[in-house]
Amino acid sequence: MALDAGTLQIGGESIESSWFLILAALLFSIGSVGILVRRNPLVILVCIELMLNAVNLTLVTFSRQLQNLDGQLFALMSLTVAAAEAVVGLGILVDIFKLRELEDVDDLSELKG
Amino acid sequence: MNWLPLVILLFPAVGGALLAGRGWRWPRPLTVIIGPGVVWLSFFAVLYGYWTDVNVDQTYWTWIRAGSFVLPVNLLLDHLSLFMCLVITGVGGLIVTYAVGYMEHESDASYARFFCYMDVFVFSMLLLVLAGNFVFLIVGWALVGLSSYLLIGFYYWRPAAVVAARKAFVMNVIGDVGMILGTFVVFLQFHATTYGNFGWVPKSDSGYLELAAFLFLVGAVAKSAQLPLHTWLPDAMEGPTPVSALIHAATMVTAGVYLVGRLHPIYDVAAVAHHTVAIVGAVTALFAATIAIVQVDIKRVLAYSTMSQIGYMFLAVGMGAYAAGFFHLLSHAFFKALLFMSAGNVIHAMDDEQDMRRYGGLWGQLRWTSPSFLIGSLALVGVFPLVGFFSKEFVLGAVFSKPDDPVSIWVWVVGFVTAVLTGFYTGRMWWVAFWGRPSETRPVEQPHEAPGVMLIPVLILALLSTAGGLVQTSALGFGTTLVEDYLKPVLGALAWPPSPIELIVTIATFAFGVLAFLGAYLMYVPRSERRAAFLDGVAEVAMAQPRPWSEQFPRLQALLEHKYYFDELYDFVFIRPLNWIASWGDRRIDRTVIDGSLTGVAALIEDGGAGLGALENGYFRSYVLVFVGGAIVAGLIVLWRAFT
Repeated sequence: MALDAGTLQIGGESIESSWFLILAALLFSIGSVGILVRRNPLVILVCIELMLNAVNLTLVTFSRQLQNLDGQLFALMSLTVAAAEAVVGLGILVDIFKLRELEDVDDLSELKG
Repeated sequence: MNWLPLVILLFPAVGGALLAGRGWRWPRPLTVIIGPGVVWLSFFAVLYGYWTDVNVDQTYWTWIRAGSFVLPVNLLLDHLSLFMCLVITGVGGLIVTYAVGYMEHESDASYARFFCYMDVFVFSMLLLVLAGNFVFLIVGWALVGLSSYLLIGFYYWRPAAVVAARKAFVMNVIGDVGMILGTFVVFLQFHATTYGNFGWVPKSDSGYLELAAFLFLVGAVAKSAQLPLHTWLPDAMEGPTPVSALIHAATMVTAGVYLVGRLHPIYDVAAVAHHTVAIVGAVTALFAATIAIVQVDIKRVLAYSTMSQIGYMFLAVGMGAYAAGFFHLLSHAFFKALLFMSAGNVIHAMDDEQDMRRYGGLWGQLRWTSPSFLIGSLALVGVFPLVGFFSKEFVLGAVFSKPDDPVSIWVWVVGFVTAVLTGFYTGRMWWVAFWGRPSETRPVEQPHEAPGVMLIPVLILALLSTAGGLVQTSALGFGTTLVEDYLKPVLGALAWPPSPIELIVTIATFAFGVLAFLGAYLMYVPRSERRAAFLDGVAEVAMAQPRPWSEQFPRLQALLEHKYYFDELYDFVFIRPLNWIASWGDRRIDRTVIDGSLTGVAALIEDGGAGLGALENGYFRSYVLVFVGGAIVAGLIVLWRAFT
């Protein structure tokens, strides 16, 4: 199959890879804006997951486009790290909730200079 | 046999280490056995070496090898070091045994500490005389200074003792610096670190040889309390009396004499330095004898007397009469240790009172100590046939007979005058402290004689001071010459024959010394207290009661009481300028420049930290904002690079 830069074959259909990349950029932007504007710690964690997976989508896209499995391997690694990060992050949150009522992350500013 | 020097060193080293480690927990009898016991064991090892006539320069291993600098660990046990070891361990053993009684009022811990220091001192002194190279000589030299410091400051709760200890240490360190610099000169110019029979000493005089000899002389002068580094010795009397007897009379302060004797091949060539030794000794002998006349503390009289007698040793070795100097060292070790220990008995009996004007009338009350003190005094004056007569006259006779030397006759004159003064101040000490009626301010009405452990060493030394002179009677022109013969292999024979009138001079010195001793009776015993049977037969003389010369010459009295203002001079020349510089530096440099720069740096960091800390506001979103902003900037840079 001739390699057409910018075109991916998915289920017999050709789709421009730019769409995937635009989707990833949108997801990433939503995630980062979410972190900036939301104060609920759980939502912030979700937003981080969103950003991570946006990056994963980019990795997989380029992997298909370049016919190189490195990107997919990297995405798998990233998923593992994300799982671990979710465990640690949620664990910290549960501990904090045990200690006190937490309305938003701005209450956690004891380490300010 | 080659291990004998190590064995001699080992005993006191082990004793000191044991007492240092566990001594303060031991029951007192164990301390009593170990403290003096190791010194006696060492003494027996030395005696064994004496009988088997050991003569070794044993290299055990090479300690340092760096280019042309090779330093072996070698110990030298020849006749000179054996002679010194006999004095150190023999007289030392007696004194440490005496201390068993003298220190008995101390607590158990202090008691063990005292014997620990004493053993360490004996070890250090033995190392000093057994060293076969300059480096170990310096190690021993510094260690005896340390032991001296520790023992002078033994009563560390007394401020005067602490100050005296510090003074002695500083003075000794001046000497140590001289020794170290002298060793540098010897190594750099003559490429020698060991004595090695002194084959490396050039045959003709040179500037560097004189320099080395003068630098070693600085060490000798400081250690032996000669002018001008003498001021520490009288203050060192703050230490316990056995310490004064062992370290500040019998052994350590004679290390300077040993040094000049040991390095005599250098001094034989370096004529200027050699003459300086004699002149320093003569001046110190006279100087200290004059001060001794006005001292009222019995231990200080003995301290100045020690300086004066070491001056005799210096003038003897400085004139090249080495055997005479070392015989006087031996004799002085006997009678001065005897005097100090008898004085210790008196001080013990007098409730620690040391002002001899407050004694009086002890003769007959202290039945054993008084005659012992008298024997020591007469030996110090040089009365025939006590040991002091033979040694002092040997020194003065040899100096008097030395031909072709412009200095020798002047040195002899000073020595003669000093001998007369010695008779006088010794007489003063004896008559004031022991004769006449008991002083009205005497602390104890009926003094008790010291216990046996303090008397027996005193009596042994009294015996040695009486009969010891018989080993070397050459002052009379005939008889035995055991000391001279024994030291001849190391020190060489006396290079000139006795002068024909030497015997007349000897008798004159003796006679004037004794007259001065008796003259002190007229001066210091009031007429009303004189006993009819003694001297008063000479009615005309005896009726005289000269006015005390302290009243006749008040300014001279003040000059002597202030010890020629040496302490004041050093205070003015060294201590006050140093204090002034130090306080100036404190105000102008330490508090402004140094403190200022340090607090400045600290303030900078603190302010900077506070400024940067404002960025850490604790809000998660602001960190994320910085992160996202950074990512956007990075992305823009990448895009800009890609499109240009």
